[in-house]
Amino acid sequence: MLAIETKNLTKVFKDRTAVNGIDLKINEGELFALLGTNGAGKTTTIKMLSTLIFPSSGEIKIEGLDIIKDRQKIKKIINVSPQETAIAQNLSVKENLEFMAGVYEIQNKNKKINELVKMFNLEGVLNQRAKTLSGGWQRKVSIAIALINDPKILFLDEPTLGLDVIARKELWNIIEKLKGQITIILTTHYLEEAESLSDRIGIMSKGNLIDVGTTEELIKKTNTNNFEDAFVKIVTGGEL
Amino acid sequence: MRIWNFAKRNFKELIRDPLSIIFAIVLPAFLLFIFQQFDIPNDSYKIENFTPGIIIFGFSFITLFTAMLISKDRTTSLLVRLGISPMRSVEYILGYMLSIIPLIIIQNILLFILAIILGLNFSVNIIYAIVISIVVAILFIAIGIIIGSIFTEKASSGISSIIVQLVCFTSGMYFPRELLGKTFSKVCEYLPFESCVTIIKGIMNNNLEIISTRNIVIFCTYTSAILVISIITFKRNMVSDNK
Repeated sequence: MLAIETKNLTKVFKDRTAVNGIDLKINEGELFALLGTNGAGKTTTIKMLSTLIFPSSGEIKIEGLDIIKDRQKIKKIINVSPQETAIAQNLSVKENLEFMAGVYEIQNKNKKINELVKMFNLEGVLNQRAKTLSGGWQRKVSIAIALINDPKILFLDEPTLGLDVIARKELWNIIEKLKGQITIILTTHYLEEAESLSDRIGIMSKGNLIDVGTTEELIKKTNTNNFEDAFVKIVTGGEL
Repeated sequence: MRIWNFAKRNFKELIRDPLSIIFAIVLPAFLLFIFQQFDIPNDSYKIENFTPGIIIFGFSFITLFTAMLISKDRTTSLLVRLGISPMRSVEYILGYMLSIIPLIIIQNILLFILAIILGLNFSVNIIYAIVISIVVAILFIAIGIIIGSIFTEKASSGISSIIVQLVCFTSGMYFPRELLGKTFSKVCEYLPFESCVTIIKGIMNNNLEIISTRNIVIFCTYTSAILVISIITFKRNMVSDNK
């Protein structure tokens, strides 16, 4: 079954077309990376897919549900870890988890929180206020919070931006563990991150989805030696 | 349930910021105390007249905290996370409002205790005044929601301090508005802050005659209009932040 399907998805802001009629199919359990240069339209696409903004035209189906008609139902089965960590700074890690469990009205709240604490090794920082955590820990907490409602689809927006190598590797391990269990849509500027983690990659440029495939497929298609060269060739149309 | 959950979180965020406590309680309490130490020959500074003014002055800081809380939630993307969740706009607004009410009650009780120590006669009307002041505080919370929805965290504190100054100069807490001249006095008459002070003063002193129909109409009009504007602004800016 398809986790996400879009048809002719378009978003126009006043006189600027941010997303220009994209057709996208993402399978259940797939880790799909959305790549593109700045202003390519990937963030706008993610915002439409995650119910944050309405499309100007076109269709979005999430787990077979319509993004307009079934908005509230969709909100219960998705979650996001935004680019900024989006955690309550004056609350402890435990309080943050409890707060978001309340937002999603989770029935077995304590069981779910304990599960996430174990999964992300949060025991040592559980009673620490979020603002005192390092960037890497804040990211971990942000992703843990995003799993509070057992989402079927998880949106990860630049999850390792600004992190050191160790913190980045730790997060990659966590994302690897989630692979196959839930559908993950990842946006990133780090090509090696997309290459290492994703099943398929979609490349956007100037609001258009210009190519989709596995890294091997994209390298082969562009007749290049590595993914970075393939990406540059696709985005620039071979001009660089 | 989501409203309580959100209100609980907001309350924790507020009380864990020591500046909130200092500005909301310590500063008004200090002013109440210090002005009672001088023998100022003006009725405005009599404890039964000055206490309601100080209560409303304290509320202007409620505007500041509300604005800063909301603008911080916007800049840290917490509102993006919540925007994707099943929470609805009305749950945000009520969650923000409910979280401030305990702070208002604590602020009022402490200021009235201090006023009684400084010579205010205790009566059941003080309890009524506390209850009505919660209604009055809605105006100040709504102003805070508007500021926090439009401006950044840094700008919010600056803009909110204008409200603090407006309360000082136009509410009549420090001096009768007539002293400022005809035009300015007229402006004060049609701003809501003097009406807020008069309503609390009338109830607290069991002197309802001083509350005119104009005071009630001005207060109700401003509160309902600003409340509606705050809901629209919050909803609109929550979306526009995500464009």
